Amino acid sequence: MNNYQNYQNYYALNNQNMNNAWNMPTNNPFNNMNFNKCTYDQKDIRPNEIYDPYAGFIRGNMFPDLYNQYKISKPYEIEPMNEQAQLLTNIDAISFAAHDLNLYLDTHPEDQDMIQLFNQYRMQSEEAVKEYEKRFGPLNVDSSSLNVCPWAWNKLPWPWENK
Amino acid sequence: MWKYEKKLQYPVNITKKDLKLAQYILTQYGGPAGELAAAWQYLDQRYSMPDDRGKALLTDIGTEELAHVEIISAMIYQLTAGATPEEFKAAGMGEQYAQWGKDLFPSDSYGNPFNMAYIKLAGDPIANIESNMGAEQRARATYEHLMDMTNDPNVLAPLAFLRQREIVHYQRFKELRNYYLETLKK
Repeated sequence: MNNYQNYQNYYALNNQNMNNAWNMPTNNPFNNMNFNKCTYDQKDIRPNEIYDPYAGFIRGNMFPDLYNQYKISKPYEIEPMNEQAQLLTNIDAISFAAHDLNLYLDTHPEDQDMIQLFNQYRMQSEEAVKEYEKRFGPLNVDSSSLNVCPWAWNKLPWPWENK
Repeated sequence: MWKYEKKLQYPVNITKKDLKLAQYILTQYGGPAGELAAAWQYLDQRYSMPDDRGKALLTDIGTEELAHVEIISAMIYQLTAGATPEEFKAAGMGEQYAQWGKDLFPSDSYGNPFNMAYIKLAGDPIANIESNMGAEQRARATYEHLMDMTNDPNVLAPLAFLRQREIVHYQRFKELRNYYLETLKK
């Protein structure tokens, strides 16, 4: 069940025997493994808490139980340079939250509270996308903001282009 | 089918040109633990999943990996933006420039073309999902190696995001594996 403990013991034992045999990496790789705190079974352990969408988004992880860091001491803040970027960051955060809950629900399909939260984020994301598209043009090709001439799909900067 | 959203899953805004770093990061595009291999491996494995739980998870994570392909591509594009042929040569990327110009070509950091043999399929849910858990761990380790090699915050931020996603995906695959181990034997 708790492989994490086993790994740590294994590592500690080996480490005593081969203290000088190899250089310890500065970051002990086994510190990067708090993977065993949730299980598939919704009746078993549920995540104690989840981050709010923005905090989860900048971490790449909505679940504090699963989160761990490497090299950087805290997650980078997103610093939008204008209102358009601000709205886009908001969409990024909410749709990320909905997506990470989606993956969780794939393996915990009976967690009703999480389904409710997923739907809350899904609706917020829909609203935020509509608001953005109304002002700055389409993010999706099924957007009603495409009902204009000239054709608006090819107007916005493409996502890989640095503004 | 898939729909395109005209945005990245996580923003990439790199201002400092670094061709050598682009070459290192290239492995997460077309290398053995790269995003392209992960996407195809998961999407191809959907057809042998015994229930809807597995089909959903592989579809959803496979789709997210495609979004990661785009993040990695954006990073390489921006790290090499405006580079001259001389700069490509100086960074040891002359071969890259000679063959592909400034197009992205899926290869590992050595320039070996992406190989579909990277993807692990066994037609068996437990074998497949355990391959995926390994794939997520190898990708996590690769992202840590890449993070070791730069201090540019604009590069570290998306690398840290992508690394974190490997941890979440690993967890979900492990949950699915454990669920199948218990339910399939009944």
